[in-house]
Amino acid sequence: MSYHRPQDLASAYHLLAERAPRLLAGGTDVYASSEGPGRPDGAELLDITAIRALHGICPSPQGWRIGAATTWAEVAGADLPPALDALKQAAREIGSPQIQNRATVAGNLCNASPAADGVPPLLVLDAMVETGSLRRARMIPLRKFVTGPRTTALRTDEMVIAVHVPASAGKGASAFEKIGARRHMVISIAMAAARMVTRQGQITEAAISVGACSPVARRLTAFEKMLKGTAATRIADLRPHLEQELAECLSPIDDLRADAAYRAHVAGALVLRCLARAASGATSQPESEGEGP
Amino acid sequence: MTEVSMTVNGRPVRADVPDNTLLADFLRENLELTGTHVGCDTAQCGACVVHVNGRAVKSCNIFALECEGAEVATIEGEAAPDGTLSAIQQAFQDHHGLQCGFCTPGMVMSAKALLAENPEPTEAEIRAYLKGNICRCTGYHNIVRAIMAASGQDVSNIAAE
Ligand SMILES: Cc1cc2nc3c(=O)[nH]c(=O)nc-3n(C[C@H](O)[C@H](O)[C@H](O)COP(=O)(O)OP(=O)(O)OC[C@H]3O[C@@H](n4cnc5c(N)ncnc54)[C@H](O)[C@@H]3O)c2cc1C
Ligand code: FES
Ligand code: FES
Repeated sequence: MSYHRPQDLASAYHLLAERAPRLLAGGTDVYASSEGPGRPDGAELLDITAIRALHGICPSPQGWRIGAATTWAEVAGADLPPALDALKQAAREIGSPQIQNRATVAGNLCNASPAADGVPPLLVLDAMVETGSLRRARMIPLRKFVTGPRTTALRTDEMVIAVHVPASAGKGASAFEKIGARRHMVISIAMAAARMVTRQGQITEAAISVGACSPVARRLTAFEKMLKGTAATRIADLRPHLEQELAECLSPIDDLRADAAYRAHVAGALVLRCLARAASGATSQPESEGEGP
Repeated sequence: MTEVSMTVNGRPVRADVPDNTLLADFLRENLELTGTHVGCDTAQCGACVVHVNGRAVKSCNIFALECEGAEVATIEGEAAPDGTLSAIQQAFQDHHGLQCGFCTPGMVMSAKALLAENPEPTEAEIRAYLKGNICRCTGYHNIVRAIMAASGQDVSNIAAE
């Protein structure tokens, strides 16, 4: 194995184009997926964590830029508005504090596990993935970036350099819920995220996503539309419509963690919990339009 | 082989290592600091927790080369040079927070990181923070008591095991 630790993006792009290395950020997926305990295989590894430009969360009038080397601990500790609470809550659920100190948001997306806890919150935040390479820069909506279990839209010479949350998604409040076989340090059996904007108790915007119940986490666009104009206190009345969309768009599997029927059942419950929490966050905001970045 | 240099418990160290040397192996084999234990080698158990630049990490899940230029702290740096235990170590002894001792270096280093962030954690906060540290002996009660005591809190109401 050989290991590269460039200090700047240009060197990283050259290495990517010339040597097709495996990227290494926090390594918490790379190590786990390697042959032989603890020792990553792959002839070449490109560690991106020494590149300063990839660190940190930057607010701007356009939204928030989360550099590719930003850790989950940094997300959990960042000063962000209630609309991004789902992302912070997911951050605290990723493994343990020692994992959160190393594991990155971008690594979670690039690993493209159906059970990646970062994906549902970033879906309800309309996140965009910024990629770079020697030849091109791209902005890809997250819903098009993860293309299947363990596959992404990245080309071999490309890397993710940041994840963006647009200012338009910074409104309202959001929540994340996950369920595993025990309370802590578990891979999700199912998880959900919801973001909501209200005006005088009425829902003006809703975004909902469910993970670990389909090859790629999904937004529930039909139910989102139905919620618009509904009173935030009446969400539970619409449960049959939620159940219907879940049945249509999810394809939960049986595996060692849970069977499909259980996944389908808890997905609905988790969505309703997220909606209730997002609603209480949104309606308690003095001006439910929320804050800008 | 690549040269790596870092500071371990305040002491500058430098060595030529194969690129895939894990920090845990570098500490144990090259520096003979065998207080850092390896229980699972897959980032699950927490026996190998050390601090890199002040943050708790699992040293079985990071290359030595990733720590180039870093400040690393291990369990060997906890007691004073004359052997006087740190407050956390002393509390583990006083409250019987260990049995076989295998998990203890990682528990102490995690507890140290917790108290740096949150100087007076509640019992629930301690239990949540230690979710990445597994102990097969104690049942955790006495570990939680020890950490509360080390933070100066009264533990007389918390049942001992
Ligand atoms: C003990 C343990 C518990 C865990 N618990 C959870 C959990 O509860 N929830 C959860 O979702 N995950 C969990 N994980 C998985 C993992 O921690 C997360 O997915 C994490 O966010 C991955 O980030 P990383 O920086 O460590 O990625 P790495 O392991 O460094 O990389 C992951 C993948 O992405 C690629 N990659 C990394 N960065 C880039 C980039 N900038 N551009 C292109 N490709 C890139 C790598 O080549 C690799 O294929 C756990 C892992 C462990 C070891
Ligand atoms: S040996 Fe590192 S976590 Fe178990
Ligand atoms: S004291 Fe034996 S594993 Fe914790």
